[in-house]
Amino acid sequence: MANGWSIIIGLVVVAGMCVAAWIFSPKGENQVLWRSSLILAFISCYLMWAITFLAQLHPLIEPRRSDLRKEYIHH
Amino acid sequence: MAPKQDTPFRSADMSMVQLYISNEIGREVCNALGELGLVQFRDLNSELSAFQRAFTQDIRRLDNVERQLRYFHTQMEKAGIPLRKLDLDVDTLAPPTTTEIDELAERAQSLEQRVSSLNESYETLKKREVELTEWRWVLREAGGFFDRAHGNVEEIRASTDNDDAPLLQDVEQHNTAADVERSFSGMNIGFVAGVIGRDRVAAFERILWRTLRGNLYMNQAEIPEPLVDPTTNEPVLKNVFVIFAHGKEILAKIRRISESMGAEVYNVDENSDLRRDQVHEVNARLNDVQNVLRNTQQTLEAELSQISQSLSAWMILVSKEKAVYNTLNLFSYDRARRTLIAEGWCPTNDLPLIRSTLQDVNNRAGLSVPSIINEIRTNKTPPTYLKTNKFTEAFQTIVNAYGTATYQEVNPAIPVIVTFPFLFAVMFGDFGHAVIMLCAALAMIYWEKPLKKVTFELFAMVYYGRYIALVMAIFSVYTGLIYNDVFSKSMTLFDSQWKWVVPEHYKDGMTVKAELREPNGYRYPFGLDWRWHGTENDLLFSNSYKMKMSIILGWAHMTYSLCFSYINARHFKKPIDIWGNFVPGMIFFQSIFGYLVLCIIYKWSVDWFGTGRQPPGLLNMLIYMFLQPGTLDGGIALYPGQAKVQVILLLLAVIQVPILLFLKPFYLRWENNRARAKGYRNIGERSRVSALDDDDENGHTNGVHGDEGDDYEGAAMLTHDDHGDGEHGEFEFSEVMIHQVIHTIEFCLNCVSHTASYLRLWALSLAHQQLSAVLWSMTMEKALDTRGIGGAIFLVVAFAMFFVLSVIILIIMEGVSAMLHSLRLAWVESFSKFAEFGGWPFAPFSFKQQLEESEELREYMG
Repeated sequence: MANGWSIIIGLVVVAGMCVAAWIFSPKGENQVLWRSSLILAFISCYLMWAITFLAQLHPLIEPRRSDLRKEYIHH
Repeated sequence: MAPKQDTPFRSADMSMVQLYISNEIGREVCNALGELGLVQFRDLNSELSAFQRAFTQDIRRLDNVERQLRYFHTQMEKAGIPLRKLDLDVDTLAPPTTTEIDELAERAQSLEQRVSSLNESYETLKKREVELTEWRWVLREAGGFFDRAHGNVEEIRASTDNDDAPLLQDVEQHNTAADVERSFSGMNIGFVAGVIGRDRVAAFERILWRTLRGNLYMNQAEIPEPLVDPTTNEPVLKNVFVIFAHGKEILAKIRRISESMGAEVYNVDENSDLRRDQVHEVNARLNDVQNVLRNTQQTLEAELSQISQSLSAWMILVSKEKAVYNTLNLFSYDRARRTLIAEGWCPTNDLPLIRSTLQDVNNRAGLSVPSIINEIRTNKTPPTYLKTNKFTEAFQTIVNAYGTATYQEVNPAIPVIVTFPFLFAVMFGDFGHAVIMLCAALAMIYWEKPLKKVTFELFAMVYYGRYIALVMAIFSVYTGLIYNDVFSKSMTLFDSQWKWVVPEHYKDGMTVKAELREPNGYRYPFGLDWRWHGTENDLLFSNSYKMKMSIILGWAHMTYSLCFSYINARHFKKPIDIWGNFVPGMIFFQSIFGYLVLCIIYKWSVDWFGTGRQPPGLLNMLIYMFLQPGTLDGGIALYPGQAKVQVILLLLAVIQVPILLFLKPFYLRWENNRARAKGYRNIGERSRVSALDDDDENGHTNGVHGDEGDDYEGAAMLTHDDHGDGEHGEFEFSEVMIHQVIHTIEFCLNCVSHTASYLRLWALSLAHQQLSAVLWSMTMEKALDTRGIGGAIFLVVAFAMFFVLSVIILIIMEGVSAMLHSLRLAWVESFSKFAEFGGWPFAPFSFKQQLEESEELREYMG
């Protein structure tokens, strides 16, 4: 479902959203405000998601714990 | 040329205008412009002192009216009459005419006289009443003394007459003189009766005893009910005293001492019949006084409550009127043509509106002479006017708290609207806390109108920033989902990418490791995998992840901010700022930190173990890049050819330093020399604003002025003096050079220190997460472990504690701390890359602003 290509797909989706924000921002003196804020918000959120995803793409360490109960270990 | 529309992206275009207003309608024009609130007037009479100005008399008169109105207000407060507050959203006040103001002044005058005379008579009556009450008490209490004292006149006589009277004599005499019916006067014993404050009794007694050497007999009784002091209106406890003494001189002395101690001496007759008559008389008089007093008070209250209906409106009218005259004082008056001349700044796009307002006033006044508004050319720096709306207002305020942006440079508040709340959210990321915050922000926005009236200062501050809180909360919800934290617990929204490798014969307490479910396939799609939660090496992973994220976000934020400096340079048409500052700066920054970010991402995207390689440490890589260019740490390469690339990048960065240092100053010098060679000169006077200020501005006119003639607009201006009233005008190479050296050093060092500064994102988000984990384990976890009915009760208590502490510590305290850190990132790390902050704020003459800012008027407005 989600693998390395997700980063690219996400980028495309966010780019699409940015274009949509550019086009559909309400006209008037606050148009620049709408555009800059929406696009900046989308890109910030994408950046954070992408960083988190990339950090787990090829993990160098794996989770380890010793307080698991026998009944729940297979969940 | 049609002016561009004003946007929040830059401060509005401003024009210097000159107004010629007929003297008769000066006041009306000022009023209309005050309602409009778009013009900032310049002081054209700066050489005149406040007393010499034209309208000082009017202001004095209004000051007096204002004082009278305040007097009414204090009287109303004293009488406990509520003030009808004026809600400016509901009621509108028509601009008053001069006659209306005159009437108001007269009315206030007569009302003041009335109220103060009523007050005076009320106070006199009150004093009379207190005196009579005191007298009544004296009569009553003293009567008691007399009745008792007549029983032991002998004793008194003996103790005053005879120093060596036996101590026990009174007992004997008591028996022998049981039926004594002698008057005191017969014995030559006089007395003084009166009232004194209870706290002074002891001192009074002591003084009397000492001055009279004990030649007195004092009797006193407490008045059970407190008496009201008419001057301060406070209740005072008092005592009645009667002092018996021998001889006229001593009595006179006692009287004097009593008076000096603040006691009131009253006339009491020793004869009980006469005393009874006196009591009757006093009672009758007291009744009369009380009746009159009640009437007076009623009249006063009626008067005041009538005033209270319109006091707020009057107060606001008067303060507006005063502001109008203060503004008129800034205008210059042309006696010959009987016109007022005003100068000021206004937004260029609002000129038509101002023009039509002036026309309106003219038409209403029916004046044949039109008011004239002229745009004038000036090279003074216009003020920075950034229009705001409900949403951007608070963001603009936090930017303005740092400084006022230079005229027409990119408004730093534009990126702040997103970056400030987003960086806050990176530090505050917890879904649960964010949702509570979101609810609070939404509630404040939903009940915007009613909550606006709350005057509690702390809340008013939060309310003012409600839209910031909203955006912060929305981003925090997002980052909370990314961090997969809800009150420090995780959410299992998707299947984990990990599964536990369960050894055979698993027993509780054995360490288990996880492995990827599909080594080359499924990854956790959104945020952190919940399998990390509660593991032993959770922090090891999340620290590395958050640290790298901080660097990447910081790099993105700073690169983005740096780009604005390019936009600024283009707007101000200074290509040298692009080639001498922006481009070398950008290359320097990217070849070090851009490269680092690229390496971080590259390292993440490579499957190291899958290809059987060892991952290199990035931190050491960066250090080796500087310390030993051309070698790699431990020889482990991130990618082939890494050493060469790093040397090239380092050289690229180093080369930028001299470019940053020298390009701009030498270019400016060359440009200046070229212009001089062509025969241009600096203009002696730089600011020619109006015919009126010629004198003060042109005090330092050079000889150059003469050959320019009137055609000064055609003269090339060598100096781009943006600061309007600065001193310099000559091109000073050393100054430019020093400035550039400072800029270069600052920029290069800041690239390093600012990148490190973004690590606060990691530190604070770690702190927030750990703190909420500790809170959970100290309250809820303990309660959930306890069983039985006790456990249930404990759970309720623990939850209350958990919730309250969550809100106070984790949302409010941590929120404030994250906000301050985010604010710093905006102010220092971001603004230093592009914003100059060399402007001065536009402060138009506006009634609305004046009323909002006035502390004094706040109590009159609902």
